[in-house]
Amino acid sequence: MRILGIDTATGASSVALVESRRLVASAGRTGSRDHDAFLIPAIDFCFAQAGWHPEELDGVVVDVGPGLFTGVRVGIATAQGLATMLGVPIMGASSLDALALRATTGHRYIWAVVDVRRGEVAVAGYQPVPGGAALDAPPELVGYQQFRGILESDAREILVVGDWEALPGSVLRGLRGVRTGMPRYPSADALAEMVVAKVGRGEFGHPREVRPFYMREPDVTLGSVHRREAGLWS
Amino acid sequence: MSGPLVLAFETSCDETAVAVTEGTRVLSNVLSSQVDMHARFGGVVPEVAARAHVEAIRSLTHRALREAGVHPDSLDGIAATRGPGLVGSLLVGFSFAKAMAWSRGLPFLGVDHMEGHLFAPRLDFDDFRPPGVVLLASGGHSQVVLINGWGDYRVLGQTIDDAAGEAFDKLARFMGLGFPGGPAIDALSETGDPDRIRFPRALADRRYDFSFSGLKTSVVTTLEKARASGTLPSREDAAASIQEAIVDVLVQKTMNAVEDHGVEIVGGGGGVVANRRLRTRLEEEADRRGVGMFLPRPIMCTDNGAMIGAAAAFRLERGERTEWRAGVDSSMKL
Repeated sequence: MRILGIDTATGASSVALVESRRLVASAGRTGSRDHDAFLIPAIDFCFAQAGWHPEELDGVVVDVGPGLFTGVRVGIATAQGLATMLGVPIMGASSLDALALRATTGHRYIWAVVDVRRGEVAVAGYQPVPGGAALDAPPELVGYQQFRGILESDAREILVVGDWEALPGSVLRGLRGVRTGMPRYPSADALAEMVVAKVGRGEFGHPREVRPFYMREPDVTLGSVHRREAGLWS
Repeated sequence: MSGPLVLAFETSCDETAVAVTEGTRVLSNVLSSQVDMHARFGGVVPEVAARAHVEAIRSLTHRALREAGVHPDSLDGIAATRGPGLVGSLLVGFSFAKAMAWSRGLPFLGVDHMEGHLFAPRLDFDDFRPPGVVLLASGGHSQVVLINGWGDYRVLGQTIDDAAGEAFDKLARFMGLGFPGGPAIDALSETGDPDRIRFPRALADRRYDFSFSGLKTSVVTTLEKARASGTLPSREDAAASIQEAIVDVLVQKTMNAVEDHGVEIVGGGGGVVANRRLRTRLEEEADRRGVGMFLPRPIMCTDNGAMIGAAAAFRLERGERTEWRAGVDSSMKL
């Protein structure tokens, strides 16, 4: 199974080619802008490194968030474009799951954090299990202090992974049993590893099911022009 | 004479549009309009627009190819609007198109949205051939462009503040007519008196430039005052008078360009050119001067994929390509 992973959902972007569970080629960079300029050259580079042709691909997996809306859309649009033209399955995967999968702990409970800006983070808790991490409950969108509250009330030994540097210093300060650790960002190779077995078993849905996981309604700022709802003639 | 077979995407604002064109021949031209989504906000909300594009683009692509009866393997190139427009919206079509092109090793071309509009008259009229002058007027732009030849353009004049379509939208909102404002004012004006109120025509001293913000202030002040004194004109008269002020200026500046540059061909593009009064006035003025007026059907005036495909065909035939590392350019200029 040859899988292309695409991740542009957070402050770092990456592309990876995975065959079975082996990472064949990857490219990455930090920065949350110009994903459109990065992606295809990075994919092109990876295919050249691997000596693969696009037609040899068995599937594409993309980070659908939570994360930065524009980055998520660029990743999904790119993955959709490739999958449409190549006629291969496309799958979506969570940025938080990708973080938890790569968390380096044997016993600590894992909280994965992704910065979604405007004073909020997307978080989810995971139980470490052999070879990975098991999601406990659906991800939540919380304010910084709310996240501190979650950690304070948890008696377990905890490892926080992901965008913890985006949190104000006071959020994690002085918490007992809480450590921060790697990885800082989700990665395309983790996404690919998560789905490679599914593709082999033919477990993938319709492409239309691959949609951004925003967790937040769009911001709507009305124009500044004085607005008469009912009109002058009412 | 046929040209390259192109799959083209236009997602610069609030229409997800996909087309298959062969040179300037349109094989399919489909779109998913978001007007209803934005109507309740009284204008285009960028985040709402970007979300809708990513939902619609995949299935629209299949529809465009199916309606054209074209297999992706027979395409000669893939094109997408690169700018100007809303960056979040542009990124969806541009990324999708670029990925499609790369996966089959096809030529890819990022197209200037305004150049697309310049090609729209050519899609509807075989004899629309430069040199000529084109009036581009939409919710985002108002320009008078001189086409010396395809690929050789000079923006003679443009708006110094609001675009013409923006003026229609803002004034319609003020009048309680909803969004989009152009069609609402167009419809009401049909039975209104365009001479009921004489609103100002700005920048009479400049040959080609527009300004519509003064008109906005004047309409608001005049109508609020009339309402207070119990002399409010009918909605129809107000709409027709506003429309006349906008149309007058658009026609005048376009004709200035026609006279100054001695062209015999005039075209139009952009959503405002779907306005019926503007079309009538442009036709009349062109007739009076003995020049040809080429106004595309309204569906070709508003944003569409076919115009991007036609512009791309021209550039692909000249051997132009857009590099994989190119990004969108939301403030692209002709």
